[in-house]
Amino acid sequence: MGLLSLLRKLRSNPDLELRILLLGLDNAGKTTLLKVLASEDITHITPTQGFNIKSVQSKGFKLNVWDIGGQRRIRPYWRNYFENTDLLIYVIDSADRKRFEETGEELTELLEEEKLAGVPVLIFANKQDLLTAARASEIAEGLNLNSIRDREWQIQACSAVSGEGIKEGVEWMTKTCNNKKK
Amino acid sequence: MPSKPEDIMKGFKLNWMNLRDADTGKVLWQSSDDLSMPEKEHEARVPKKILKCRAVSREINFSSKEPMDKFRLEQRVLFKGKCLEEWFFEFGFVIPGSTNTWQSLIEAAPEGQMMPANILNGHVVIETRFFDGDMVVSVSKVRIFYV
Repeated sequence: MGLLSLLRKLRSNPDLELRILLLGLDNAGKTTLLKVLASEDITHITPTQGFNIKSVQSKGFKLNVWDIGGQRRIRPYWRNYFENTDLLIYVIDSADRKRFEETGEELTELLEEEKLAGVPVLIFANKQDLLTAARASEIAEGLNLNSIRDREWQIQACSAVSGEGIKEGVEWMTKTCNNKKK
Repeated sequence: MPSKPEDIMKGFKLNWMNLRDADTGKVLWQSSDDLSMPEKEHEARVPKKILKCRAVSREINFSSKEPMDKFRLEQRVLFKGKCLEEWFFEFGFVIPGSTNTWQSLIEAAPEGQMMPANILNGHVVIETRFFDGDMVVSVSKVRIFYV
């Protein structure tokens, strides 16, 4: 992995700058996922009280990944970061069944946002390493993802901690970004 | 109502900085002193092998008590005052009471073009200027020593 290799994969995109937004409830694993993408150590991650941004630049091409905290107090500020988003990654804690409804509501609101209209969404059903994790298919059904018609979307089972499913998610991201109408 | 400039400046704090080998994600240097004193030039003792890295990332962590609407930064790497590299980054909105990180990653110059450690030593300064719109919020300078 590593952000430079991700950037290289995304480089066939016609835009010179790409913005990826990472959202989801608190404790879904957004920051862990971001660090895994950058091949960084994930042992000391604390709740994000604002944003974490990673900017990568190579040969005139730029990638910016924005991870915004998911705590209730912070969620009303998400809208400040929608503009110019090329891809939305929505992260779900697949073992946090008590909050499936809440995460579903947040996702629905995001998909209704005008500034995110048509933006492809990758849903990571994270924490598949936990025994109590729901399968991606179960989450897809619960969230009624099949009703999404206005954009490209994908749900990917993954574990940021074990690395399972990350590669597949990245492949979908690169395919989707590079297929964008030129 | 927008916050007053002096409140924004007073409520802004640079917490830490680090440098990583971007290929392995390993931290090669992390600030230990209090970076929040903006006028002081800080010193970083970085292992020489950083110059062999294919890509290095620089990460900064900062807090803001006040909201900001047009937050941005300009980061320059200076060698004897001459700019070798610069980044302009627009954050836009900053959440009141937030702590945030920004990491920039750039590929190193090809090996043949990289200046040796003994020439760079003590002459490289990473200067980061934080703005809200046109107003300077804070300035940080870190001088690099290769050890």
